[in-house]
Amino acid sequence: MIYAVAILAPLAGALVSGLSGRVIGDRAAQAVSIFVMVLAAVCGSIAFFSLANSDMEPAFVSLGSWVDVGTFHADWDLRYDTLSAAMVAMVTFVSTLIHIYSVGYMGHDKYPKYRFFAYLNLFTFAMLMLVTADNLLQLFFGWEGVGLASYLLIGYWYDRPAACAAAIKAFLVNRIADVFFAVGIALTFVKFGTIEFNSIFAAVPQHVADTYAIFGGSYPALEVIAFLLFIGAMGKSAQIGLHVWLPDAMEGPTPVSALIHAATMVTAGVFLMARMSPVMEFAPTALAFVTFIGATTALFAATVGCVQNDIKRVIAYSTCSQLGYMFAAAGVGAYQVSMYHLITHAFFKALLFLGAGSVIHAMSDEQDMRRMGGLAKYAPWTCALMWIGNLALAGIPPLAGSWSKDAIISATYAAGSGVGTYAFFCTVAAAFLTAFYSWRLLFMTFHGRSNADPHALEHAHESPFVMVGPLLVLAVGAIFAGWLLNNWFIGEGSAEFWRGSIYNLPGKDILARLEQVPTLVEYLPLGMAIAGIALAYLFYIANPRLPVRLADSYAGIYRFLLNKWYFDELYNAILVRPAMRLAAFLWHTGDARLIDGMPNGLAALAAGSSRETVKLQTGSIAVYAFTMLIGVVALVSVFLVFR
Amino acid sequence: MNWTTAIPEIFLSVAGLAILVFGVLRGRYSGPGNALVCSMLVLASFAVAAILIIGGNHGIGYNGQFTTDAFSSYAKLLILAGAALGLVLSLDYNRLEGLARFEFPVLVLLSTVGMMVMVSASSMMTLYLGLELQSLSLYVLAAFARDTLRSSEAGLKFFVLGALASGLLLYGISLVYGFSGTMDFNVLARSFADPAGVAPGLIVGVVFIVAGLAFKISAVPFHMWTPDVYEGAPTPVTGFFSTAPKVAAICLIVRLMGTPFGHLLASWQQLIVLVSIASMVLGSLAAIGQTNIKRLMAYSSIGHMGYALIGLAVGTAEGVRGVLIYMVTYVFMNAGTFACLIAMRRRGIALDKISDLSGLGRTDPMLAGWMTVFMFSMAGIPPMSGFFGKLYVFLAAVQAGMWTLAVIGVLTSVIGAYYYLRIIKVMYFDEGGEAFDRRPMSLSVVAAAAGLFTLFFFVFPAPFVGAAQAAARVLFG
Amino acid sequence: MALQAIAFYLMAAVTLGSGLAVVSARNPVHSVLFLIAAFFSAAGLFVLLGAEFLAMLLVVVYVGAVAVLFLFVVMMLDVDFAELRGGFQRYLPVGLTVGALLLIELLLVLGGWKLAPEAAVLKLSSTPGNVSNTAAIGRLLYTDYIFLFQAAGLILLVAMIGAIVLTLRDRKTSRHQVIRVQNERAVADTLLMVDAGLGAGIKTLGIYRPLVETPPQGRDPVAATELGERRS
Repeated sequence: MIYAVAILAPLAGALVSGLSGRVIGDRAAQAVSIFVMVLAAVCGSIAFFSLANSDMEPAFVSLGSWVDVGTFHADWDLRYDTLSAAMVAMVTFVSTLIHIYSVGYMGHDKYPKYRFFAYLNLFTFAMLMLVTADNLLQLFFGWEGVGLASYLLIGYWYDRPAACAAAIKAFLVNRIADVFFAVGIALTFVKFGTIEFNSIFAAVPQHVADTYAIFGGSYPALEVIAFLLFIGAMGKSAQIGLHVWLPDAMEGPTPVSALIHAATMVTAGVFLMARMSPVMEFAPTALAFVTFIGATTALFAATVGCVQNDIKRVIAYSTCSQLGYMFAAAGVGAYQVSMYHLITHAFFKALLFLGAGSVIHAMSDEQDMRRMGGLAKYAPWTCALMWIGNLALAGIPPLAGSWSKDAIISATYAAGSGVGTYAFFCTVAAAFLTAFYSWRLLFMTFHGRSNADPHALEHAHESPFVMVGPLLVLAVGAIFAGWLLNNWFIGEGSAEFWRGSIYNLPGKDILARLEQVPTLVEYLPLGMAIAGIALAYLFYIANPRLPVRLADSYAGIYRFLLNKWYFDELYNAILVRPAMRLAAFLWHTGDARLIDGMPNGLAALAAGSSRETVKLQTGSIAVYAFTMLIGVVALVSVFLVFR
Repeated sequence: MNWTTAIPEIFLSVAGLAILVFGVLRGRYSGPGNALVCSMLVLASFAVAAILIIGGNHGIGYNGQFTTDAFSSYAKLLILAGAALGLVLSLDYNRLEGLARFEFPVLVLLSTVGMMVMVSASSMMTLYLGLELQSLSLYVLAAFARDTLRSSEAGLKFFVLGALASGLLLYGISLVYGFSGTMDFNVLARSFADPAGVAPGLIVGVVFIVAGLAFKISAVPFHMWTPDVYEGAPTPVTGFFSTAPKVAAICLIVRLMGTPFGHLLASWQQLIVLVSIASMVLGSLAAIGQTNIKRLMAYSSIGHMGYALIGLAVGTAEGVRGVLIYMVTYVFMNAGTFACLIAMRRRGIALDKISDLSGLGRTDPMLAGWMTVFMFSMAGIPPMSGFFGKLYVFLAAVQAGMWTLAVIGVLTSVIGAYYYLRIIKVMYFDEGGEAFDRRPMSLSVVAAAAGLFTLFFFVFPAPFVGAAQAAARVLFG
Repeated sequence: MALQAIAFYLMAAVTLGSGLAVVSARNPVHSVLFLIAAFFSAAGLFVLLGAEFLAMLLVVVYVGAVAVLFLFVVMMLDVDFAELRGGFQRYLPVGLTVGALLLIELLLVLGGWKLAPEAAVLKLSSTPGNVSNTAAIGRLLYTDYIFLFQAAGLILLVAMIGAIVLTLRDRKTSRHQVIRVQNERAVADTLLMVDAGLGAGIKTLGIYRPLVETPPQGRDPVAATELGERRS
């Protein structure tokens, strides 16, 4: 089936280019990778549109049995419903463009490139497994698979210590979240006796009253499960507290940042919320928590993004912030809206990252925006495309962002709850900051006076077509996706489009209420965006000294933001350093002394006893005879004592 | 009187006498050829004896002094195999060392007769005479290289300490006889049907008997002769010592503990457990520091006897089955190891240091390969036969709930693995010496035969397990 | 009965005392003599038991052959007895401790000795009334115990083989009697007729026998060697 082809083709590509890349060479490996991705994208799109445009029922593609132990079953099944198909189409499409872009971006890399493409293929396959999973275990398989691919790709330049450290950090932070996720899966199995989505969803209403005793209290089981799953999602989607890995992950090659850390993998958490919506809907406390975290992240990341100087980090924090938007929407029950933003965001964020990559490429691997400026005349295409991306991100109509982001802000307002209102204010403030840091980026990079290293500027050039081409395609998506998808995702046709793959509690018709928000609320984001752009203009074009003076006079706040709210330092102090100290203790005392000491000591003991035993072996017959007699006496004594 | 039960022994004795006369008539001084012919004749008589055993009838003969049953047949066939392997090993070694005299095979044959009498004994007197016939031949064999000081010393030590052991054994037998008034195993067994009424003096007699026999299997603390004798005796003789006589002695102990003293299990079990543990511990510990490979093999055999005794200590048919399987694997891997050791020769000089093996992996990969197989097997690493030997005794111990014994067995075999693996390390990773002399055909044949057996035992264990099962049933129904 | 008891205790005491003296005597020759005394008294004990054949055997074999052989060996070998004594003294404490322990244990055990009730029945072979002790042993030995008897014979054979293997040497200097050669000797091979001059006795020739430079063809080399040796 065409759907299975879309999912398995990247695996085949990964195997071919990864295992035989050394033999067939870089060019052939790249060709294979891109071919399978194009194939997957075509198949994925066909699968999506045929599902969206017809009344075909959601289906399953069974690939075989996986685990069958007692009552625990997990099969390799591909779930073919709107939610999965939309994700498949988006992932394969974006991934294909990024593959093509990588050919240009990685062109000058000193390593053999088949490895990179094999990893990209592998990542795509894992991501597809994640989104098409029909049970939690398969989803977890994909979840860990993308984590692995992410680790491999962040640390792709393995001779850079920063890249290796970032890779390990990403892996470890995700691992913390994954523990909760795995416990959530286990608890699901305990409570529901199955991990198949359909069986779980069907059984949810019967388990509403279930409780689960933990930490000395008794909590509704569904709430606990929802919490655990959400913590897993927080790790993958870099929500506040577990976000620390995402900015560091920018150490990887830029296409990786675009694919994994903007468009696809980090959205897995949002996807999980949507996928598990039938469970989440019955866990109002957990949902409120989701909204709270999402809104907080949206604002927090935006504040940090305003002062960062590394072009990729700004976009990374922007990603973080946008993911916060999505969670905020999911938390108020508007999963459709969060999925909508997920898709549009994939387009313009990939566009932004790839554009940033193009800038970096043009500037001979310079990433600091303070050493840029005035690049518009060197890279006009990139500049134009970045403008489109940022317009979309800031939510200027009619670009994609304005549709989905405004919908989220409206949804938080429409929710009407306390946490919804909190989210509303956060997201509105974040919208302002988003526009500000976006234009700060644009102005510092492309406009104004050039602070660039003249030497680098000499070589500054527009990127080749193989890189600009994918940007153009993405730009088209960034412009039109919102308008095109509005009807399907959240508009009139949404119920028919989703066909039950997302569940909303009856009577909580948040989609319907989206249209009823006051006009002021509808236009507030736009106003905020324009204000942000204006402020950015003031700061970075009209009066470039102003931000410096501001930073000087509010040094505390500036440093607080520049150091990302001191999250890294906090974790270092309370987690990393004690852990290191504990590890050092375990190593020096526990391992070297005890664990090693025991076998070493035993070995020494054995050798020592060996020497002692052999000492008796003098060669004297008398000694031997006495030994025998003493042995007899001992045996007789043993008998007399123990008989 | 059912005299036919002893036909294999009678045949072998007569054959031995005939070969002796033949050898004498051909002349003492007709060179190594005479020894070779006599060895071949002895091997042929072994083969005939084996056929006679297989075809022979089971029963009790000679006024209850001599028994043949499934157990004795199993043991005798194993003894004959061990003796034959030992004899083949000696063929070329004796020629090269100038020891090729026709008395050698005759002595091997007579000691084999002694062993066969031992395992068939069903009276204390038969037991003792068989034991002495075997031992006396072995004393002479140990000192066979009479011109080297070490060999003579080995023979003398073996003789003196063996005499002491015989004294202990006889004292024990006299105590048992004094308290029970009989030497017949079956009558003894009947008179012990009620263990509560048995006089303690009789049990002390049993302790002495155990001590005397423990000497023969070199179990701790009666092992002291083993390293010196193993080192001093000519290498093929050492190889012979460590195979057939061990089988005979351990089968004798098993029969003794099974038939006459079977009802006294509670009394002697503790002793066997102690001796077994002590042997395992000492065998594995003391071998670590050795530099002479023959001494190492001595401690190795002490340890192996400890493992085999586990099966006896359990005191069930499963345990004895384990012992019998253990002995089969032990005989073959030991014979193979000694084939490799005898091949250690440079420029006509026999070597016996572990360090002499260094570089063997390169200079003679075939020999090193077989040696590796044997060492892995001795260490009890699957799928070599040695693993199954250990498996069956440990299994029996666990089934009987004797966890301590099994755990100690496993621990000591871990320690023991160290020195076996060290030999492999020396062969493959140490800076090599020059190549050994071309090894004679006979050694290659024994090494290959024993090696194939050790390597592929896991493919066909069923006949051995079945035979051992049947044999064990006889004693511990 | 009393006489028997007196004789038993007397001879038992002598046996034990002699045994102790064997290991403690300073002079090894004395040790062997004490051993002979122990054998004699043990033979006496056998007689008391009615086993006169065994008693005679003990005297004939052990005293007559073994002990006398011991005497020869002890007297002929150059053994450093001072050194042996040193060992004795060194191991005395350990030996005494072990011995004492063993004795105590055995006393503990044997203190409760009682003859098994069925011992009389189980008695292997009682002497039949109508034949002598010796004849009874003979009958048993060659009938019921033939197997053991033969096995014992094999043991002795092994002992003999062992003695030959370990000690018999064919040195170049050892002389063997080759009967065939002796029988085939002709007068001409052994006698050399020398025509001594009148009045020229052996003394004049200066030698006892004629000096043969090279042995004539066909002569026995053994004889030649003998001649040569005799000459030197």
